[in-house]
Amino acid sequence: MGDSGGAWHLSCTVNGEPVEAEVDPRITLLTFLREHLLLTGTKGACLEGECGSCTVIVDGRPINSCLMLAGQAQGCSIQTIEGIGDDKKLHALQKHFIATGAAQCGYCTPGLIMAAKAMLDANPSPTEQEFTTAIEANICRCTGYESIRQAIRDAYREIHG
Amino acid sequence: MSGRAFGTQTPAAPPREKEHVLPTEAPITPSPFAEKVRGPVGRSCDKIDGVERVTGTKLYGADLIAREADLHAKVVRSEHAHAEVVSIDTKEALRVDGVLAVLTAEDVKGTNRHGLIRRDHPVLAKDRVRYRGDAVAIVVAKTEQAAAAGRDAVKVEYRVLPTVESIEQAMAPGAPHLQPGGNVMGGRRIRKGDADSALADSHVVVSETFRTQTVDHAFLDVEAGVARWDGELLTIRVSGQWVHEEARLVALALGLPVERVRIIQPAAGGAFGGREDISIQIYVGLAALRFAGKTVALRYDRAESMRARHKRHPMRIEYAMGADREGRLTAAKVAIYSDEGAYASTGIAVCRKMSSHATGPYRVPHVRVDVFGVHTNNNPTGAMRGFGATQIAIAYEGMMDRLAAKLGVDRVEFRRANLIRPGDAVTTGQVVPSPTAVECLEAVLRQYGSKSMPSEPLPTHLRRGWGVSVICFGMGYGDGFPDASRARVRIGADGCVEVYSGIVDVGQGAENVIAQVAAEEMGVGLEHTRVITADTHMTPESGSCSATRSTFFAGNAVRLAAGELKEKLLDAAGELLCVHPNELEFRGEEIRGRFDEGLCCSLGELVAAARKRGYELEAEALFKPRTICEDFETGQSPRAFITYMFGAHVSQVLVDVETGEVRVERHVACHDVGRAINPEAVRGQITGGVVQGIGMALMEEVVYRGGRILNPGFTDYILPTVRDVPPVECVVLESNDPLGPYGAKGVGEPPLIGAVPAVLSAIYDATGKAPATLPCNPERVWGMLTGS
Ligand code: FES
Ligand code: FES
Repeated sequence: MGDSGGAWHLSCTVNGEPVEAEVDPRITLLTFLREHLLLTGTKGACLEGECGSCTVIVDGRPINSCLMLAGQAQGCSIQTIEGIGDDKKLHALQKHFIATGAAQCGYCTPGLIMAAKAMLDANPSPTEQEFTTAIEANICRCTGYESIRQAIRDAYREIHG
Repeated sequence: MSGRAFGTQTPAAPPREKEHVLPTEAPITPSPFAEKVRGPVGRSCDKIDGVERVTGTKLYGADLIAREADLHAKVVRSEHAHAEVVSIDTKEALRVDGVLAVLTAEDVKGTNRHGLIRRDHPVLAKDRVRYRGDAVAIVVAKTEQAAAAGRDAVKVEYRVLPTVESIEQAMAPGAPHLQPGGNVMGGRRIRKGDADSALADSHVVVSETFRTQTVDHAFLDVEAGVARWDGELLTIRVSGQWVHEEARLVALALGLPVERVRIIQPAAGGAFGGREDISIQIYVGLAALRFAGKTVALRYDRAESMRARHKRHPMRIEYAMGADREGRLTAAKVAIYSDEGAYASTGIAVCRKMSSHATGPYRVPHVRVDVFGVHTNNNPTGAMRGFGATQIAIAYEGMMDRLAAKLGVDRVEFRRANLIRPGDAVTTGQVVPSPTAVECLEAVLRQYGSKSMPSEPLPTHLRRGWGVSVICFGMGYGDGFPDASRARVRIGADGCVEVYSGIVDVGQGAENVIAQVAAEEMGVGLEHTRVITADTHMTPESGSCSATRSTFFAGNAVRLAAGELKEKLLDAAGELLCVHPNELEFRGEEIRGRFDEGLCCSLGELVAAARKRGYELEAEALFKPRTICEDFETGQSPRAFITYMFGAHVSQVLVDVETGEVRVERHVACHDVGRAINPEAVRGQITGGVVQGIGMALMEEVVYRGGRILNPGFTDYILPTVRDVPPVECVVLESNDPLGPYGAKGVGEPPLIGAVPAVLSAIYDATGKAPATLPCNPERVWGMLTGS
């Protein structure tokens, strides 16, 4: 990362695409994704690491993007909700979030899906506890959580047959 | 179900219907509709915009800002809970690079006031601030950073006045008056029979003072949005709960004709009553008026959202209740003091919800209730899920447990014996149509009992217990307040049924409900309906998304409009076929002669004919049932609410008596929803409401000191996570509301109302101590158990 007159040069990959940008080093990864790349699927709600709405996957790990500076993403591979499926081809998690009614207002949904995806990617045989652990840092004010847990279980079953 | 389209073009991708079963789902108790489910009504179906919500493409207020903002606004707020504004110096702020304007009360051309019932809340305070969230100026700048720097550079000189922190201080002699009429802003009362003598004659009487806390809505999607003034029309895209009222409030405050204010609802990330009062709409509108042709953005962060927004009323409820030797309730005497905060908001209506629900679903012959709304320098308090019915349920259910204990009778039996039955009246004297309180209680006990309380021995520091609650909820505004929904249904150019309704979908699925109702009524598949909601210039007024009224009111209006449209189609077909419309009927995709099979025209032909002749195939309808004002002296009314909903909960908790921690192990909730139009969405409302109720019972509390919120963020305002709650077990009870669309009543608020007292009842059962102060967080429970 180089310093060029207040802005830093950031290179990383986002959803598989290389990204090169001049960024103010003070902005968070969340702001970078939302306001520079217009990837507004990732949401901010508390901006203090308490709700998980802003969760993205950075080098395979679920990260609160409101707590990570954009500069810290130098050289990283970042995945956001936009990168895992779209209306033509939904990711299994997206499909089951719809099917179980796990998205009411949907504001928590992208963060929850990314948190769950990070777990499913890393863990081929999660226990019931691990399904819960995957989303314990996420707040959903609408659903009461069980439909979310169920969506993740169903997606796991679909992915692993 | 076979879908049928009007016209020929292929509609957009259809939402999927499904029969999905959650593992925790109890079977729906025998439904009067079991045989009837044919069309979309009564079926779980995917959220119509589910794909957008799970792919991150749905645009919420803040997403509009990222895409469209030209300029940014920030709000300068009072640094004091109570002060006179001596002067506002904007010079330095205007020198900040990028700042374009600083607007104060002088720049507001209208009344500069808002408020849902009393217009007492200044948009920008001119001479006095009454809470720390009061706004005094708006800064507009080229960037958000510049706007924030400008905000911090505005110098406001204050003369600090004494802060009124609590109800007690507000009512003390000599307290500073926060509003011209004094600190008691008004109240409501019930006078039914003679409560004093009846209590004196009772076999047992129990008294308790309950204290409920301030609660924040904590929807995740903080206030954010954009506005644009094009010289003719001020278009504001901010999430609220009643677009048409918001347009009126903006127009009044800013001095515009209401036709020139257009409110369009972006996707809303939850509301729970927290978007009922106006939030940023007027501020961002004011800023946009100054910069024609520019899109101006405004958003709060979490702290500002919590500091600015109204809250759930904290209350002190003094309750005395008596019973006779046979265990029948004799009388209730209740005094309620409600902290209204700095401005009226919907407070007076909350007071009335408290009085009208004072004895809940129980038969109490003698009732005396006095509710006082009291102004303080805390945040204004207003609507939040339950709207006063939440707080009072904590009290009446708490009394039922205490009275049963004092009488030495079983608390369930005691409830069963006193619940209203057909022909009985609630607090207001209204004889409730289809009271299902007993059915709810039996159903919830059945579900709970099927697994019953584990009997394994517990370590000495743990106590297990279960509690029960039964609640009722009057739906809609009631009390004679005009309560109406309009809807328009038309056949679109592509042959789809288009439904226009002003109702707001805040995430709960109102759009699904009206799509299902329209599809059912028109006899088409859901995939052939399109829903357009919540845009003042596109959709007819449908009233607020509140009071658990959306399904009942918007659903009915849509149903009526669709019925009208069907008649119109028959009329048009009659004209085309040269017969009286009564000779014709709908059959599949066609209209055919009742008696003459040869008479036939397809709906596609009708659409084509209408298009050729230039008339619209559309119909509008109004649903406006009347309630009757509660008598001002006695609070009595034969029809205080259109209909009532009932619910019963059982909660099972484990209490750690050494730490005061409470864990909810099981929670069963049964609700009579009339008809479940979308059963999955109904269960979603129940589970979500229960979890908010557990939050209120055990952890959530806005803490003030000197009018300052000490915990304006999720680090210190504790919300339930997946670790704090069990999977909620839902029992959906269907009855048939004679006025409801397809028999539906609604479901939004009651699940929260029932959850809180059931948890408290369980703590009482586990520990032998009955909580009276909320929330029951570890400190408080430990204090209660140790007497410290
Ligand atoms: S917005 Fe990042 S954790 Fe809440
Ligand atoms: S669905 Fe609304 S916050 Fe989770």
